[in-house]
Amino acid sequence: MNKAEKGLLRVEGLKKYFPVRRGFFQRVASHVKAVDGVDFSISSNQTLGLVGESGCGKSTVARLILRLLPPDGGSVRFDGQDITAMTERTFKPMRKRIQMIFQDPYSSLNPRMTVAQSIRDGVRMAGIKDKTKQRDRVGQLLEMVGMPAVSAGRYPHEFSGGQRQRVGIARALSVSPQLILCDEPISALDVSIQAQIINLLKDLQQALGLSYLFISHDLNVVSYICDHVCVMFRGRIVESAPADLLFEKPLHPYTLKLLDAVPETAVVGWSPRIDGTEKQTQAEYGCAFGSQCPDVEEFCKKAPAPMVDVGGGHLVRCWKAAETHRTF
Amino acid sequence: MNPDSDLLLSIKDLKVHFVGDGPVAKAVDGVCVQVHRGQTVCIVGESGCGKTVTALATLGLLKQPPAVIAGGSIAFDGLKMLEMTPSQLREVRGSRISMIFQEPMTSLNPVFTIGDQVAEAMTAHKQLNEDQLKKRVIELLTDVGIVDADHRMGDYPHQLSGGQRQRVMIAMALACEPDLIIADEPTTALDVTVQAQILALLKALKQKKNMALQYITHDLGVVAAIADQVYVMYAGLVVEQGPAHAIFSNARHPYTLALLDSLPTKEKRGKRLYSIPGSVPHPAYRPVGCPFHPRCSSKRSFCETDFPAMCDYGEGHRARCPVLFDAQAGEGGA
Repeated sequence: MNKAEKGLLRVEGLKKYFPVRRGFFQRVASHVKAVDGVDFSISSNQTLGLVGESGCGKSTVARLILRLLPPDGGSVRFDGQDITAMTERTFKPMRKRIQMIFQDPYSSLNPRMTVAQSIRDGVRMAGIKDKTKQRDRVGQLLEMVGMPAVSAGRYPHEFSGGQRQRVGIARALSVSPQLILCDEPISALDVSIQAQIINLLKDLQQALGLSYLFISHDLNVVSYICDHVCVMFRGRIVESAPADLLFEKPLHPYTLKLLDAVPETAVVGWSPRIDGTEKQTQAEYGCAFGSQCPDVEEFCKKAPAPMVDVGGGHLVRCWKAAETHRTF
Repeated sequence: MNPDSDLLLSIKDLKVHFVGDGPVAKAVDGVCVQVHRGQTVCIVGESGCGKTVTALATLGLLKQPPAVIAGGSIAFDGLKMLEMTPSQLREVRGSRISMIFQEPMTSLNPVFTIGDQVAEAMTAHKQLNEDQLKKRVIELLTDVGIVDADHRMGDYPHQLSGGQRQRVMIAMALACEPDLIIADEPTTALDVTVQAQILALLKALKQKKNMALQYITHDLGVVAAIADQVYVMYAGLVVEQGPAHAIFSNARHPYTLALLDSLPTKEKRGKRLYSIPGSVPHPAYRPVGCPFHPRCSSKRSFCETDFPAMCDYGEGHRARCPVLFDAQAGEGGA
């Protein structure tokens, strides 16, 4: 992984437990460990992919980074400063430097505000007070995301899903951020529109030197757009590697399972190696994936696997994989 | 090709128009689809190309007006679906053809248990006593991979995960052992691993019961995984059709090629993705000539005026693009 100084964003041991309340007095019966010790870093101009199934905690990670939720442990450092320890007042200027693009372009724009109004709020926050300058900046932002200038006066319902997502991106860019958290930005869109938005994100990254945290469950997209990929399972990162390494030589059994599940156009008549029955019983395994792992061993039950570096920036949280693939 | 006796569903030249205040929206404008017994037929296309309307018309589920069936015929196993009365349609729907909808959250009733909802179709179409019914519900839920079915059948939809709800939808569709299941983007809202499970499940059940499956999707990966026959739709028309291997190895319509090119894969890393310029035309303002010509990269001048004919490549592979057909014929002759 990257050196601490280099990382624009560094997340260390991040934790978020949601209490499960039961009974008449609403006593805390247990905790859902949504995020349970997550570490990663993003350097500037880099795209980090965060992959996993729904409920694995990937969106919670994004919310914790933006302080939309308070963490229960660990730290988030942005540009060397610990965000988690800041007061709301000192954090406010930081929020301009980290922005988010949401999955659903339909519900993330205010239906009663024109596109220009939605974007202008951000422009004002960025410190542009003059009305004419604000309007110019809105026009410039719309042009950057490939929307015609006339769209400024229109309302979100007048646009298609892809166009709305462009407006969402323009709004995120309005405060000139350095890091954008993209939470499944294209999964609600059609195939041909997905390609347009991916190209747009890549162009903007080159032009403005942005960093992305790209959250997705679509491995094809992640393999295309990301420089580094972290695979999450039950609140933990189970494998982390540069994208080409991860897709060429995946090590963790969960990553293999995910890759297996992706139907590819190159293979007509694919069949997944996944059994149909759901195994939701969490046995007394040390390893969280143990109960679903195809090649689980006796020692996997004893203790949770540590993150092991197998060389080349490839980290894996699996006893067996680490043992057999260590390159040094 | 299968002999015609195996032909289960035949949609011929179907036209569905929507009449409102403005100009007539031709959502489906001359679509022919054939589904044979035991076959999986995929219908692919972007939103607004008429895939779902075709499916709804097949089942007689379109609200008329605003929809108007402007022409064509739908024959299901010899039955003329468009000429049937509502009560005759009810006989067929749910028992011989059933549908799986895209959103399991909105298509399950929140105030009934899943057991009740799976049983509903059987109470309507079959004479079963309570014990038989319960046994059958448990059997169905187990078939679709819901563990501990005799307890879970008392659960309400909100107690289930997205994947489980979709399994319940499949169990409902299977309840009367239909000859044809129409699935409208059943896995779009689901995770890849759950999607893989559902696809594997549909495949297995299809083989076990010799059902036909008409699968509507915009995900070409899914199509490659399960399809026998593929129909690519654009702007209310079938622009290319054929066996799955022919579509993926030798696509002959610029729209199909563009869809395949716009998929992100690791092989394309660092290269720019192809993206189709413009967007799907509104069904009321369709361009003259080939409907795809404003977005097409291999367009000729006659594409703007002449409506393209289907060109035959053999083995049932046909595409509505004379430009690429002539190009291939030219290569073959030289």
